[in-house]
Amino acid sequence: MPTDALITVAPTWALVALLVLGAFTTAAAMLDGALVARANGAPGGAMRPFAEASRLMLQRRRVTVEADRLLWRIGGAGLLVVAALMVAVVPLGRWTLFDLDVGVVWFNAMDVMVWALVWLAGWGANSVHSLVGGYRFLALGLGYELPLMFALVCPAIAAGSLNVGSVAAAQDGLWFALWMPVAFAVYLVGVMGFSVWGPFSPAIGADIAGGSRAELSGVDRLVFNAGRYALLAAGAAFAVPMFLGGGAGPLLPGWAWTLLKTSVVLAAMVWLRRKLPAARPDKLMEVGWLILLPAALLQMLVVSVVVVVRG
Amino acid sequence: MGVRRALARLATRSVHVLVVEAPDGWRIRATVERAVRERGWSMALSPGGADVLAVCGEPRSDLGKAVAEVWQQLPGPRVRIELRDADDVSARLDEARDQLLDTTRQQRDARERPALSERLDESGDDMDMDGDDDMEMAPSGIPLAEGAEDRDGLEMDVLHVRLGVALPYWPAGLVLRCALQGDVIMGAGVEVAVDHQGDDEQDRVARHVDNVVSVVALAGWEAAASEARRVRDDLLGNRSEDAARRLARLQGRVQRSRMLRWSLRGIRPLGADDLQRLGLPSRLVGDTHDRLLAMLDHAAQLPDCDAAPESERLSAEQVSQLVIGLDVATARLLVASLDIHTVSSGARSEESHAH
Repeated sequence: MPTDALITVAPTWALVALLVLGAFTTAAAMLDGALVARANGAPGGAMRPFAEASRLMLQRRRVTVEADRLLWRIGGAGLLVVAALMVAVVPLGRWTLFDLDVGVVWFNAMDVMVWALVWLAGWGANSVHSLVGGYRFLALGLGYELPLMFALVCPAIAAGSLNVGSVAAAQDGLWFALWMPVAFAVYLVGVMGFSVWGPFSPAIGADIAGGSRAELSGVDRLVFNAGRYALLAAGAAFAVPMFLGGGAGPLLPGWAWTLLKTSVVLAAMVWLRRKLPAARPDKLMEVGWLILLPAALLQMLVVSVVVVVRG
Repeated sequence: MGVRRALARLATRSVHVLVVEAPDGWRIRATVERAVRERGWSMALSPGGADVLAVCGEPRSDLGKAVAEVWQQLPGPRVRIELRDADDVSARLDEARDQLLDTTRQQRDARERPALSERLDESGDDMDMDGDDDMEMAPSGIPLAEGAEDRDGLEMDVLHVRLGVALPYWPAGLVLRCALQGDVIMGAGVEVAVDHQGDDEQDRVARHVDNVVSVVALAGWEAAASEARRVRDDLLGNRSEDAARRLARLQGRVQRSRMLRWSLRGIRPLGADDLQRLGLPSRLVGDTHDRLLAMLDHAAQLPDCDAAPESERLSAEQVSQLVIGLDVATARLLVASLDIHTVSSGARSEESHAH
């Protein structure tokens, strides 16, 4: 496999990767703040995440009666950790932190961890709305997770490898997003699902008073919120080598193309947040199993046939 | 010290306000929402996410006690404001911001607030709301859940939960006591319903639109909810031309949204015979999506027609009957779709069950 194009950098570069992830997380929050402010005709848009972060840092961490503090906090803070582990396998142009043979599986394993984390955040608080949020996330997960897995398998089949660098390199001239659009669309639905984002965020919906994050306050709420933006950014970043040709592109160097493509995907998902009503979990489960899953499987069939025909 | 001060100032650009609405307080609440929006602040969904507790109107009878309980759940720094008049909302919110910045005051509040254990001791007497004496297995005063058969005939824990008071987009003055299995409401009764007479006719259109806000906000469609809030604020601010134009646009948008239709279709459909049996007004016919469209139609036509208004008053008992069998979130959507202006009280009722 042509992984020789990738250079594995020293582990200390992980700090840079974290900074880049942090920058995307902040930028996503700023864009979201600006969009909210514009819709409301209010001041302070892009500065909002900074105001919000100071507010939560100064706020007291409250504890509910008989809360399972350890699990509760693991759930809240874990999202950021998972996002960081996801970007570990995303190559930035020619450099990668972790050139894993099964990078695609690694990413998938990380996104499944979010199930446990959102559930724990909901369960640990020992509070009704919070717990219902946890239930709802699991129900939603049943709807989006299998289609997401098959969507991730499509580029891997086409490239004949589970290595992220090889998948990016296999898109020589033609992006996978173009000839497997269904897989790309299902992937984006999955990313918004595991980021508890927009139409796929009934786990923290207004109809259950904030759900999994209803009881979070202070720094606990801050890391939970930041974790959602970070997951969205990590999902956008992973879409680049999987579907958008990695660092390939004219004029600019590979790392710049990776960052640029990530920004576009991320901005599109942030923009979408307020535009659509929420998908209620029971409804999404129907759609997930009756439409998304067969569609992803068909896509996989098409991809497999193409690969076989090409020899 | 300087950094902390600067952070605190920055923090007050994003104050989160939790509203408790008394039955006569909806105009004040709408004014608060507008003032909060114009400042770039946010409305909180739960006490845990709030800095300011804004009590709109006069919380009579049992609501006062509930407000005190909610107040104890705000993390702090925290400020509580009592609003009795829509005109001084803005000034009171400014005061609240200053009080959030008042370190001495906040430190004193933090020192003086009762610890969790003290609060539990205090409320221990009326903790057991059903009046049984099986308290021996009760960590921190929470009795262990009892089991019962669920919808599929399997044994499942039953939790007793109150819905109401500090719950955004919920009818003011109504508290339901629900028996939950998982997130499904198996039984419901009326805990508190504060009666209230003064139905002012002048703001009826705005009131309908306010209920539209509730449905779309609960359905998670923030863009449409923002739009609907603007219509409501235009109506309350006597900018009726802007309001009519925006309302028509909102109506079109809601009618066209396939995703909203897909999401709300089939939630508690009520046929003509159901309505008759339950004594409900005929405007509630159809499922939750139909009811939302009817609310919008009604709001759009109301300024032109002089027909005698159908009752927008539902009894708490009727509401409690309708939520049985739904999960908490769909029950919220259903209740919002009933377009309630006033909840009339009956007697406190026991939980009635589906089976």
